[in-house]
Amino acid sequence: MASTACFIIVSRNDIPVYEAELGSAVKKEEAAHQHQFILHAALDIVQDLAWTTSAMFLKAMDRFNELVVSVYVTAGHTRLMLLHDSRNEDAIKSFFQEVHELYLKILLNPLYLPGSRISSSHFDTKVRALARKYL
Amino acid sequence: MMDPMRSLLGRVLLEEITPVVMVLSTPLAEEACRKNGLNFVEMLLPFSVFNKIDVPVRTASDQPYRLQMFKLRLVYASDIRQQDYKVAENHLKQLVSDAANAALSDLQSELPQLDTILSETELNFSPSWIQTFNKELRKTVSFSEHEAFDHPVACLFVVSSNDAQPINRFADLFNTDQLPSLLNDGVMDPKILKQYLLLHENHDGTMDRATGILAEMKRTFGSIDCRLLCINSSAGGDGELKDNPWLNVKAHMSASHEIGSFLNIDDLIEIKEFMQELSSKHIIPYMEQKIRFLNQQVSATRKGFRNQIKNLWWRKGKEDVPETTSAQMYTFSSMESQIRVLGDYAFILRDYELALSNYRLLSTDYKLDKAWKRYAGVQEMMGLAYFMLDQSRKDSETCMETAFNTYLKLVPLAQRNATRCGLWWAEILKARGQYKEAAGIYFRISSEEPPLHAAVMLEQASYSYLFSKPPMLRKYGFHLILSGKRYYVSDQRPHALRTYRNALLVYRGIPWNFILDHVHYNIGRWYAFVGVFDVSVKHMLEILACSHQSVTTQDLFLGNFFQTVENMGKIFEVNKLQLPVVNMSSIQVIYEDHRTYASFADVNVNENLWKSLEEEMVPLASTIKSNWLESESKLSLKKYDDSHVCVVGEAIKLDIEFRNPLQIPISVSSLSLICDISGKSEETKIDGGTSSFGVNDIEELNEAPSCRSRIGDASYVVLSEIDLVLGGGEAKRIQLHATPKIEGVLKILGVRWKLSELVVGYHYFEPNTKKKHKKGKRIARNSSGGILNFIVIKGLPKLEGCIHDLPGTTFAGDLKLLRMELRNQSEYSVKNMRMTISHPRFLIPGNLEDFNMDFPCYLEKQKFSKCMEAPANAQKFKNLLFYFPNGVTIEGGATFYWPLWFHASFSGKISIYLSVYYEIESCSSDMIYRTLRMHYDLEVLPSLDVSMHITPCPSKLQEFLMRMDIMNRTSTESFSMQQLSCVGDQLGISTLPANESISPLKVLHAGQALSCFFKLKDCSKSFECETGLAFHGKDEKLDAQGSGKVLIDVSRSPLLEFHQQERYHQGKTAEGGISNIDFILISKLHDNTSTGLHPSILSYHACHCSITNEIPLWWLMEGPRVISHDFSVSFCEIDLELTICNCLKTEVSIRIITHDFMPETKLSDYLISDSNFNQGGWHDVSLANDIKEISNVQSEKLSSSSSQSISPFIWCAASSTSVKMQPSSTANVPLRICIFSPGTFDLSNYELHWNVQSSSPSDEGRPGDDAMRSSSGMSRGHPFYLTVMQSH
Repeated sequence: MASTACFIIVSRNDIPVYEAELGSAVKKEEAAHQHQFILHAALDIVQDLAWTTSAMFLKAMDRFNELVVSVYVTAGHTRLMLLHDSRNEDAIKSFFQEVHELYLKILLNPLYLPGSRISSSHFDTKVRALARKYL
Repeated sequence: MMDPMRSLLGRVLLEEITPVVMVLSTPLAEEACRKNGLNFVEMLLPFSVFNKIDVPVRTASDQPYRLQMFKLRLVYASDIRQQDYKVAENHLKQLVSDAANAALSDLQSELPQLDTILSETELNFSPSWIQTFNKELRKTVSFSEHEAFDHPVACLFVVSSNDAQPINRFADLFNTDQLPSLLNDGVMDPKILKQYLLLHENHDGTMDRATGILAEMKRTFGSIDCRLLCINSSAGGDGELKDNPWLNVKAHMSASHEIGSFLNIDDLIEIKEFMQELSSKHIIPYMEQKIRFLNQQVSATRKGFRNQIKNLWWRKGKEDVPETTSAQMYTFSSMESQIRVLGDYAFILRDYELALSNYRLLSTDYKLDKAWKRYAGVQEMMGLAYFMLDQSRKDSETCMETAFNTYLKLVPLAQRNATRCGLWWAEILKARGQYKEAAGIYFRISSEEPPLHAAVMLEQASYSYLFSKPPMLRKYGFHLILSGKRYYVSDQRPHALRTYRNALLVYRGIPWNFILDHVHYNIGRWYAFVGVFDVSVKHMLEILACSHQSVTTQDLFLGNFFQTVENMGKIFEVNKLQLPVVNMSSIQVIYEDHRTYASFADVNVNENLWKSLEEEMVPLASTIKSNWLESESKLSLKKYDDSHVCVVGEAIKLDIEFRNPLQIPISVSSLSLICDISGKSEETKIDGGTSSFGVNDIEELNEAPSCRSRIGDASYVVLSEIDLVLGGGEAKRIQLHATPKIEGVLKILGVRWKLSELVVGYHYFEPNTKKKHKKGKRIARNSSGGILNFIVIKGLPKLEGCIHDLPGTTFAGDLKLLRMELRNQSEYSVKNMRMTISHPRFLIPGNLEDFNMDFPCYLEKQKFSKCMEAPANAQKFKNLLFYFPNGVTIEGGATFYWPLWFHASFSGKISIYLSVYYEIESCSSDMIYRTLRMHYDLEVLPSLDVSMHITPCPSKLQEFLMRMDIMNRTSTESFSMQQLSCVGDQLGISTLPANESISPLKVLHAGQALSCFFKLKDCSKSFECETGLAFHGKDEKLDAQGSGKVLIDVSRSPLLEFHQQERYHQGKTAEGGISNIDFILISKLHDNTSTGLHPSILSYHACHCSITNEIPLWWLMEGPRVISHDFSVSFCEIDLELTICNCLKTEVSIRIITHDFMPETKLSDYLISDSNFNQGGWHDVSLANDIKEISNVQSEKLSSSSSQSISPFIWCAASSTSVKMQPSSTANVPLRICIFSPGTFDLSNYELHWNVQSSSPSDEGRPGDDAMRSSSGMSRGHPFYLTVMQSH
């Protein structure tokens, strides 16, 4: 598992609907906002890149120092963003695909309002399990 | 794409890559200049830039072109060296700090809108000092040995005419130990162009000496290179120069009037001419010449195929030369240096083609030599040359990239060079509109530089993102933040603040909470450093409700906030302070106008419920209004339709929920409402316009509560204050009170509180977040701005009340006397009291005398009790409206009791609502009546189930057998049966003779069931019905011993009324009749062991028990039972009489058919299905089965008798008789039989066919009762045994 990883799902309105610090590294107070800053800034790049390719997985599309941002853009323009320092592209891709599946299940819930925060603890545990598996 | 010359980079290059003139001057010459507040170089500075020099130049290939803009860089020889790192650093730092002051003043201004920023160009938007900074940063690497464009092209010797032996001085100046190391070390050619200048001060002597010296100079150094410059012609001190050219150049010099004070306009013209001549006549031609010379040399040795091969082969041999020696390798005389000089000179003279070709040549050489720094330098120049030629974008970029990367490899040696290269590169990209890439370059530079430089670089990167197309705002914000952090680290707080503030433009309002917290927190903190506390606090406020942060961060934020507020030194008032969070939707206002409530729980009862309860009791709304209008009060209440009425001295309560979003406890004190009260007199003034009323309110909402005058308010309205501590994440519901003390209009505007004694928070209730209000108390939904407005009216009496002894839990059937207490705490008395009760089945008002009697003993039957027949009023069964006797008033301060009877009529949970209406004695107020509402919830547990079954007695007319099934449904309690009473005039109840043996039980234990049998007699016939004795003889003691106990009179007041309620609720009609009968079972709890409940008496009411048969007829055969007859004489003739009774209210025609044999058919007719037979609400399947068994017995009997084919007797007279019977009449039909032999005969072989005349109009009245019977049918006779004996 990577020492640092921060996973965020950003809705089409640029609102983070799900956030998780996945890294095995000891959490620093600083990290939370730094990660948000990097991922937020990376949205600019995603905006450019998303329309140039038909692939959903945009590999390592932005970096900040040694941290890399990988993004997976769903058809509904929800962006799954991962800030990581590991290099295993295939694993990240599989991680995204599985989280996408989970996200779709959340969307199918008639009680979930698209674009609202995902508060399901089940989703959270599943994502963390996937992170342990792939990252 | 713009012309590269016109781009920013083009202009910068034209300005910075220019020939350097080395200046060597004598101290006296300097002194002459210093009189003007300038040194020599500074004096010439304004004149070293030529916008239109217009000098013809030829390229190496003889292409003529003209130079327009030109600049000379005059530098003292001592300055021609690489700057000391420390000094340079301090210089740059100073530059940034100077700009900081400007930034600081900027902080007070409002932030511009994002749109306006985007419409500006980058140059206008980014602070101008950044370009200066870039320039100074580049300057730190000038005069490097590997580049030639900084090498002096010419040398200017300046000697004052006052110097002794000026000629010698000139010679001394070019003394080697004064020369810069570049020349001494042999990096550059010491043979440079030399110019000799004699400086003469006009005011201190004639020109003679000066011209003499000049002539000598010309002789010594050659006539062309010597000049005389006259300065200080002016007497000095007047400051006569109109537009001082130095003002622009040396803005930072202090007393500007001193600058150039000794120079007059002639001097300036002379200086200008000198400079013009120097550049156009000497420097440019010299350079041109040198270019030609060098070009020829290069062509000869390096151009052409042969030379290249030779060069390659030669360089191969030097491969193993170590890198370090490379500096010494290239002296000025080496080929490489000469090519470099050629290239740089060509670049300066803007012959970029030539420059490029030479640089290209050179770069391969350096690359082969692995002279990386030089290689990078050449690549850098190539990139610039490509850019200026505007030919190949890609080439310029690859060149810059190679240069940059190569420099980076040499870090730290060439780190600053890398920076310079990066700056060029970024400018190239920006000039081409590739802002995004430029930003990347700035970011790369920043990682190599110390924090301060990095900050400036990152700031530039952010601007590049901002102005890229489309703008990358998020990147802009992020890089501003990065830059701000580095500014902060390098102690430049104003700059840090400035960048963060700008970043806020992007981040304001985004839902990324960690980002927002970080930005606001730091801005707040830094504003506090700068001393702008109010803005600081404003930003700090944004982060207070940071529930997503960790505890330590929350603590940090809160601590910082409090510290800032403390530093401010005054109480700070914050609108909508987020700590604690006010849950606006939780607001609930409770006030009492004419409706008052006994307890808080009553408020939550639905208003509609109360309204329907009080419907009959209170005057109609319209009459209230007319009363208001009649009253002499000047208040035109109409305009306050939206407002609500409350009473002086009575608190308005407001429930509101506060939540602490943090995980750390916070203390809140002085929590109170913000109210505004205007007295009656002021109010008349506003009479004019209702509309302005609302406007005022909205304005008021913008000011802090301390702004409103609170003077005197305390005497007008009393507000409760609450202190509390909210633990982490805790939510508390608080009730706040406002008690008006004067009449007028009270407005509840909001709430205020103090957080940790430091900050005052307030929150105004807003119009559109208007609360759903659930309760009786309307929450003001106010059209004029949604403020809670109340009209305060004069003090009124208010009753408080409660019901004593009302049990929370009880057993069904419980009968009790309760006490209702009403207290009047005002000084006025109240009158005209009425009361409604929602469940008269449970609660009925008693009489005042009831208190004096000993319940339940007084219920015991007295000898002459009166039957109290209350009028059956259908209305009173829903809500009971009770008028207190006329004389009842409650004086001020008095307490009043009234008895209430309670009877738990059925099990379950039940809410009982009471409303007491009263009018105010001295009716001078706007309100004439008030109501007191009470509400009680109670739970009734099931106790005994009673069911009755009545069957007609076959042997007697108008007699019934009754079976009573009692079931104890409790799990612990035992009940003792007291008495069973039958209500009604018609029937009496008595025990069967065998009763004692059948039901000896008087106590029914938990879970037990019991059946008892009784006989019912129609006593309307046997007793000539006196109403006074109606209930006599109808009660049956169930107590076997019974002797000591007295019967309870069920016709006494509470029992009677409750019975009527029960009758109403158990059946569809309240009308009695022979067909239905009611019973009251009275029992007592046997021993109250476990529950602690003490119901003294329990009464159960079984109403509408049906006694009707399935046939509408009763008949009885009467006649002798035993007869002696002498059959020897004759056969025996016996007269019988059949008494038929029609119990219907309709006419019935009856046919009596006698058979001499038993008919076999139609047996099924007899067995009319009996299970669907109405039993008046008490229905038990098991009973129905019993009936079946009984009838089976009968049918067996019948079949046995029918086996005798011929009966030993015959019916005489007609075999069929028809009778028409009037409703409820009795008829006697005579019958006769003949018997031929002695024996016992069953005379049941007759049939009654009956047919109901359904056409009767009275049918319509009671369809329900008759519909259950068949309209026609046949019945067989009852068994009647006749024994005939032979007499002798």
